[in-house]
Amino acid sequence: MIDPIHQFNIEKIFTIANIGGYEIAFTNSTAYMLLSVALISLLMLGAGRKLVPGRFQSLAELSYEFVANTVRSSAGAEGMKFFPLVFSLFMFICVSNMIGIIPYTFTVSSHIIVTAALALLVFFTVLVYGFYKNGLKFFKLFVPSGIPVVILPLVVLIEIISFLSRPISHSVRLFANMLAGHITLKVFASFVTMLGAMGVAGWAGAVLPLSLTVALTALELLVAFLQAYVFTILTCIYINDAIHPGH
Amino acid sequence: MARGFRLSSELVAGVAVGAVIGWGLDQLLSTSPWGLIVFFMLGFAAGVLNVVRSAGVVPDKKPR
Repeated sequence: MIDPIHQFNIEKIFTIANIGGYEIAFTNSTAYMLLSVALISLLMLGAGRKLVPGRFQSLAELSYEFVANTVRSSAGAEGMKFFPLVFSLFMFICVSNMIGIIPYTFTVSSHIIVTAALALLVFFTVLVYGFYKNGLKFFKLFVPSGIPVVILPLVVLIEIISFLSRPISHSVRLFANMLAGHITLKVFASFVTMLGAMGVAGWAGAVLPLSLTVALTALELLVAFLQAYVFTILTCIYINDAIHPGH
Repeated sequence: MARGFRLSSELVAGVAVGAVIGWGLDQLLSTSPWGLIVFFMLGFAAGVLNVVRSAGVVPDKKPR
């Protein structure tokens, strides 16, 4: 029957190890993560180094230029230190989202634990690097300049809460977009089969949800790329805070 | 839809973090329910700040 949530099921393929009573399993999610990493490695390593690039080499060079420009424009030249991290995040999210659009596949970023792990990685990178680079001056991030002393404690508290809420909004945004998009797609697609079972009149009615499904697939393709880009640009903005906390 | 998710997740995240901090302080200092009330309000303020910042209504703290 119609079960739009079923596509997000985690299924165990085999068990890797048992650590401290917990089973570490190789799941379908793991398989799709490995597939994305394999595809990225294939693209970046197998692209070749010809002077006149072919198709794959152009794709690899384009993705490098795209991410490098994003990092330079929002975190400055110093931010290029973090280019490997940002590029890996962008390529992983983008490729795994693109794989998720293909029917019968699993979308890795539709699970909040995956996006939360990525967002926490960025959060702790910013914290550790911020304190390593700036020492206690990193706390300036929480003290906006030009605020009267009377309301300063209140503003600092609000800034701290705002800072702590970053990993949550960072992860929920990607997760919610992918989850909602895939559920919508599934629901509209199931309308087609439901109407199609009703005979000739149903077939005529099924044209509308079918065309909507096609349109939604195109939209999802856009969302898949856009969310990867949004995740990347926010990562760059947070890293910029770690590099230049003051004003 | 993407923009709506962006802004709503910012607001909810701020409120949630404020509420969790307040609840945690209550548990530690047994000041229930005052910590929750105060930090819920602060979290709401932080959430609104997040939304306003990410919507670009006010410029961010510093020019980039």
